[in-house]
Amino acid sequence: MTKLLVQNLVKQFPGTQHSAVNDVSFELSDNEILALVGPSGCGKTTTLRLIAGLERPDSGSIWLNQSLVASEAVFIPPEKRGVGMVFQDHALFPHLTVFDNVAFGLRHKTQAEVRTAVGEMLHMVGLLSHSKRYPHELSGGERQRVALARALAPKPVLVLMDEPFSSLDADLRAGVREHVRGILKSMQATVIFVTHDQEEALYMGDRLAVLQKGKLEQIGSPEEIFHESNTRFVAEFMGDSDFLKGTVKRDGIQTAIGLIPQIVDLPASTSVEVAIRADDIDFHVDGSGNALIIDRFFRGAFNLYRLRLDTGQVIHAINPHTNILPVGTRVHAFVSAEHSLTVFS
Amino acid sequence: MEITHTNITYQKLRSKISPRLALAAGLVALFVAVPLIYIFVRAITAEPEAWTRLFQERIWKLFANTLGLVLAVTAGAMLTGVTMAFLTERTDLPGKKIFRWMLAMPLAIPAYIGGIVHLALLRPRGGVIPKLLEDIFGQPVFTPSPLGFGGAAFILTLFMFPYVYLLSGAAFRTLHASLEEASRVFGRTPLQTLFQVTLPALRPGLTAGALLVALDILAEYGTVALLRYETFSSAIFVQLSGRYDRSAASVLSGILVILAIGILWSELRLQGRARFTQMESNWRPAPLMMLGKWRIPAFLLVLGVVSASLLLPVGVLLVWSVQAFLDPETMAMLFHTGSQGFGTYVWNSLWSSSMAAVIAVMLSLPVGLFAVRYPNRLSKFLSRLSQVGYAIPGVVIALSLVLLVNRFLPFLYATPFIVVIAYVLRHMPQAVRASESALNQLSPSLEEASRVMGRTSLQTLFQVILPLILPGLLAGGSLVFLTSLKELPATLLLRPAGFDTLAVRVWVWAGEGFYFQAAPAALLLVLVSALPLSFLLRREQIFK
Repeated sequence: MTKLLVQNLVKQFPGTQHSAVNDVSFELSDNEILALVGPSGCGKTTTLRLIAGLERPDSGSIWLNQSLVASEAVFIPPEKRGVGMVFQDHALFPHLTVFDNVAFGLRHKTQAEVRTAVGEMLHMVGLLSHSKRYPHELSGGERQRVALARALAPKPVLVLMDEPFSSLDADLRAGVREHVRGILKSMQATVIFVTHDQEEALYMGDRLAVLQKGKLEQIGSPEEIFHESNTRFVAEFMGDSDFLKGTVKRDGIQTAIGLIPQIVDLPASTSVEVAIRADDIDFHVDGSGNALIIDRFFRGAFNLYRLRLDTGQVIHAINPHTNILPVGTRVHAFVSAEHSLTVFS
Repeated sequence: MEITHTNITYQKLRSKISPRLALAAGLVALFVAVPLIYIFVRAITAEPEAWTRLFQERIWKLFANTLGLVLAVTAGAMLTGVTMAFLTERTDLPGKKIFRWMLAMPLAIPAYIGGIVHLALLRPRGGVIPKLLEDIFGQPVFTPSPLGFGGAAFILTLFMFPYVYLLSGAAFRTLHASLEEASRVFGRTPLQTLFQVTLPALRPGLTAGALLVALDILAEYGTVALLRYETFSSAIFVQLSGRYDRSAASVLSGILVILAIGILWSELRLQGRARFTQMESNWRPAPLMMLGKWRIPAFLLVLGVVSASLLLPVGVLLVWSVQAFLDPETMAMLFHTGSQGFGTYVWNSLWSSSMAAVIAVMLSLPVGLFAVRYPNRLSKFLSRLSQVGYAIPGVVIALSLVLLVNRFLPFLYATPFIVVIAYVLRHMPQAVRASESALNQLSPSLEEASRVMGRTSLQTLFQVILPLILPGLLAGGSLVFLTSLKELPATLLLRPAGFDTLAVRVWVWAGEGFYFQAAPAALLLVLVSALPLSFLLRREQIFK
């Protein structure tokens, strides 16, 4: 069942040149986590705020649970939408205890019902013992979990999360992320999750939507986004791709490191670029090879080499951590990928 | 140069402005602006002879007198304030912790009360000190006179410098040590660092402090009248109370207000940059400068300033009060002057000032909310307009209210409420600033969280915003209370017969030479002012 339907959403702020959100459409079904990802200023947070009712769209429409909540003619205020939201700065009310913060969204219920519901939520996020504390007495990770409990307590139609982990330290983030995803899945929540971190998006999202300059570039499963990028931007943003120049031949694509035997549906001798990741390239030492090692970065489990091809282009290649070669070594680089690569004309 | 200030202004652009809020903010701004506009109308429509007469005789001298005093006191307050702040924040001065309090405390002493004490001590004929010297040496000894320009500048500096002291003290304290370390690494000596890096970094705060002092001097009535130095304010007071020439008073007021608005305009432009800097997480204190052989002279210097501005006035008031209590005749006068007595004055002071504080804070809320949550040209304009009270000296507000009420609201004339309205108009800016800064520190996501969880904007106001900004509102309210309590010229001009506040009584008694009788009231005024002041000081980092 469709939980959320967003159609041709447009939002431009006064005094700005470009639309913050430009003709964005997507839908979300039950129990699904959608990660909205893109660089800062791409419109992901604005999209979220439009869905929450914190901003009013210029045009387009938003349907929540099959009822229209925003269009040119209709605007349901945030308090009537029944969504839950986790804010970037958590926005816990500093004058209320943990218990009262979580209870804030539970209205028109008896005291006993509120106590049970809040208790369940705090138990789930593992903070039942902290219910009498105030937000300033909590650690960053605990605050994060209270914010989540508060958003989930009223059993919202949709949970919106705006960069919820960005205020946490890196070492804490991975653990909290795992915990939060587990909770969301066990609650069978429908979630939109905003982040600028592609790794986090790949981890959290059942599906990913990549935004750039207010436009939806691509939406799909993490695997699709990663391996079958629709646009050069997506390939670049999601996976640190190098773009290898090439020419279309009858039996493949001719590049500076040889022929890639991949048939593309383009006329011969068209100039193209092949998106290629460091793990798709291999090399061996060869005095008369086609590339020169110009840098090596030890990454623990592997070595990342920077190679300068004779054409002048620089590409990256991964080699086992035991294979250490000095800078200046001449090598022969070749494509080792066994899957098809994404080609842009 | 980048100056450390973490000024949390969220400028989330909303698509829709609440018309109710805009209307409320507009009404408040209008209420504050009407007296100002009316003064200009009266000044422009005054008969031409009033203009020519004034221009021929007085205006140039008044201009020179007023500007001279403003410049002298501002310079004096800057020099004293920054020196004191440097010595107590950045050096190993002995006793600096207690000095920090004592240097801020003169704010609780109205300048005219300080003036009364200094005048009684130093008066050329009959002053305590000249008399004492004459007794010792058997012949008159020259002592500097507190009357005229020199005396006025000296005494006003003594009671104005704490503004600059507080602003620069906080700035000295919160400035990043790394800024100065960088300067040292690049080859500057500590002294060069002070003048090339530290002081320039403090400049926005210092300028704001200087402008505040300048505005206060323009508006000052009590001290200049006491020391017989004529400025615009005292001239307007004389025109209004003595000769009852309202045209001349309007013309003078118009010119004074234009001067003040010029200063206020620059101050408002700086305001955003001049806020107290906030501590950042990686803040660490700068190393102290060792005074070495200068320790004793520095200590004596600070002690001298503290003595003249705090210990001496309070001490003298204490002695006088004790003498008053020991003398049955003075006691009788103190508690029964006609049908009134000390209790009546205290009550009048308290209720009029608290009422002004409550009204000012309530009125400041829509203006603050509108300006902070919907930052646009209109809201900014309304916020500035409601702060125009700073630029309207008490005498001018009194004049304007007398004229306005006489013509449009005669039933209010000669009631205590007109005094309260004057306090609100004059001290509204403090309330507006307090509300705005409290709201500024409130992350808008708290409000949004409340909305998302089903509260309307009005419910959000009462359940989330107000509880959180309450401390800020209390601070603003106590500032309004404090300054209303000390207010003199507007109270003198507007009060109905028999409505005596503590400030009025001190002024009248001291003017008639009954110092002992005036002392307990003055002392009480100082003590009551000291309470909200210490509440405010405790909020600042440097007094913890």
